[in-house]
Amino acid sequence: MSRLFFREALCRAMAEEMERDSRVILMGQDIAAHGGSYAETRGLFERFGPARVRNTPVAEAVTVGLAAGAAAAGLRPLAFITYLDFLMLGLDALVNYAAKLRFKSAGQLTSPMVVKATAGAKGQGPTHAQSLEPWLMNVPGLTVLAPSTAGDAYGMLKTALRAPGPVVFIDHKKLFPRGGSVPDTEELVPVGSAAIRREGKHLTIVAHSYMSVLALEAATALAAEGIEAEVIDLRSLAPIDWETLTTSARRTGHALFVEEGQVVCGVGAELAFGLRERLSSLRVARLGAKRAPVAPSPVLESFIVPDAKDIEQSARDLLLANVKNGTHRTGKEET
Amino acid sequence: MVLLRSFEAALLRQPKPGFQLLSRGEEAIAVGICAALQRKDPFLCSGRSIGPALARGVPPGGLLAELIGKDGGPNRGRAGRAHVSMPSVGLFGAHGVVGGNLTVAAGVALAQQQLGTGAVALCLFGDGACGSGTLHETLNIAALWRLPLVLACDNNGYAVSTAVRDAIAAPRLTDLAAPFGIPASAVDGTDVDAVAAAVGEAVEGARAGRGPWFLELQCARMAPHSTLTREERPPAEVEELRGHDPITLYEKRLRAEGILSDALWAGLMAEVDAEVAEAERFALAAVWPDPEAAMLDV
Repeated sequence: MSRLFFREALCRAMAEEMERDSRVILMGQDIAAHGGSYAETRGLFERFGPARVRNTPVAEAVTVGLAAGAAAAGLRPLAFITYLDFLMLGLDALVNYAAKLRFKSAGQLTSPMVVKATAGAKGQGPTHAQSLEPWLMNVPGLTVLAPSTAGDAYGMLKTALRAPGPVVFIDHKKLFPRGGSVPDTEELVPVGSAAIRREGKHLTIVAHSYMSVLALEAATALAAEGIEAEVIDLRSLAPIDWETLTTSARRTGHALFVEEGQVVCGVGAELAFGLRERLSSLRVARLGAKRAPVAPSPVLESFIVPDAKDIEQSARDLLLANVKNGTHRTGKEET
Repeated sequence: MVLLRSFEAALLRQPKPGFQLLSRGEEAIAVGICAALQRKDPFLCSGRSIGPALARGVPPGGLLAELIGKDGGPNRGRAGRAHVSMPSVGLFGAHGVVGGNLTVAAGVALAQQQLGTGAVALCLFGDGACGSGTLHETLNIAALWRLPLVLACDNNGYAVSTAVRDAIAAPRLTDLAAPFGIPASAVDGTDVDAVAAAVGEAVEGARAGRGPWFLELQCARMAPHSTLTREERPPAEVEELRGHDPITLYEKRLRAEGILSDALWAGLMAEVDAEVAEAERFALAAVWPDPEAAMLDV
């Protein structure tokens, strides 16, 4: 095991895959000599050259379209979208072309592309902070991955670059400078596998990306009160690892779903419904952003986006059965 | 061209032809382009794909089956007109979103460049896509990276009911390529030989590494926008379009040049009639997809 920053783990995964497969190319804003907006491509331009590490203009529609078409014609492109918010500008090629290509060509064509997009609030305000994962989970044909650790960043990006169809790989601004253990030998994380980060018997907390970090912090605080929370890091949002979720929730009887984005038609809504179909007596609650755009002011941002304290409170509320009709939105919000 | 015209007439005879975009009046563009492409050159087109697909070599029976939703189509009823593809004959695919195939075509061209295939991607799109940001993003990157890409605009005068002059500020569509330093030419899209020659020059230039080329192929859409759209052009204007029928124009020229005789023309018609009749037989006999097949290849 080595200790690497999350951004270094991504870089190592890209370097190894580019070495292994000459069809892998990188395209995006500021990824060449600049080394990536989050320093995650540092050294790759110098190592692999301008044909395989390509800066693009500020033009997300053509960036995603280039990746979709190049993938369909034999390359394995990784397109960088600096802020997940801007993927909106490239959604047509991703959703209407790449995600449907295998289906609409009856298996004659596929588009094995990866879009790496960065989500999460970190002071940048309404259009540089959104967590839009549910929009993507809704699309048949898309694989959606969102690691929270350096080890998974490495293992999951490698998996994405070998996947048979389009993958959206979502990372988070607050994860890049975090350190973690990364295996020294190649280790891939399969699609559709969640990870149990902490075991517990009283409730299951399900989160992904940076919220997994906060869920673990909350679980530590809850343990001091005698509440043993099991923390599951989803890692794969599409497809979902129902088996791991169901096994845990059956044991604890309570499930709290935490996401950084909006709860309306959100990750938690989908998971709660899916688990209640499997476990009809399960008590569920969800926690996400309040129903407002993300504001740049630190005071406003931290009010809107959940933190570890909010997770703790939602867990207590769920266990105290302080709920109406068996479902519950957040500890504070009654909309 | 005659096959394309006759095939579309057969399509309209089907009980449920669906929402179709016909190529009537635009046959010389499809046929001229495909005459100039090599088999390995990926051809991408818009949702007005029926003529282009036939010209590229998609078997008429299979295409008709696809258009009416049968399992015997090349895409087993999942693509229809808007997304039909058959890479084995060089039809990389149609895309039903206006302007949607432009950025994809840039990627397909990038793959040819990177993999050294020596092939050139050609994207045929309508004048309606000329107001779309995807065209301008594509022109920019194609010029910047010298992609082996030919962007061929089928200018039939209207985006549904909106005339080009009401949609595009540039006086000429070829002006759109100028800021990017991309060579551009306007061609009579009702003259199949002129289309083939212009496309040939553009494709071979791109193949030789000279980067992208923009072509405006001017023609007249002889039918309404789609089989479900009202014709809003004045009757006199529609009547006037008969004078721009690429088939009649070519027939007259070949006769004047002494190449086409009555006997040859009659023989050609009989051949096309037989081919279209066989296509209809094939498509009608084809089975419907198993509903459960909807879950395959997702």
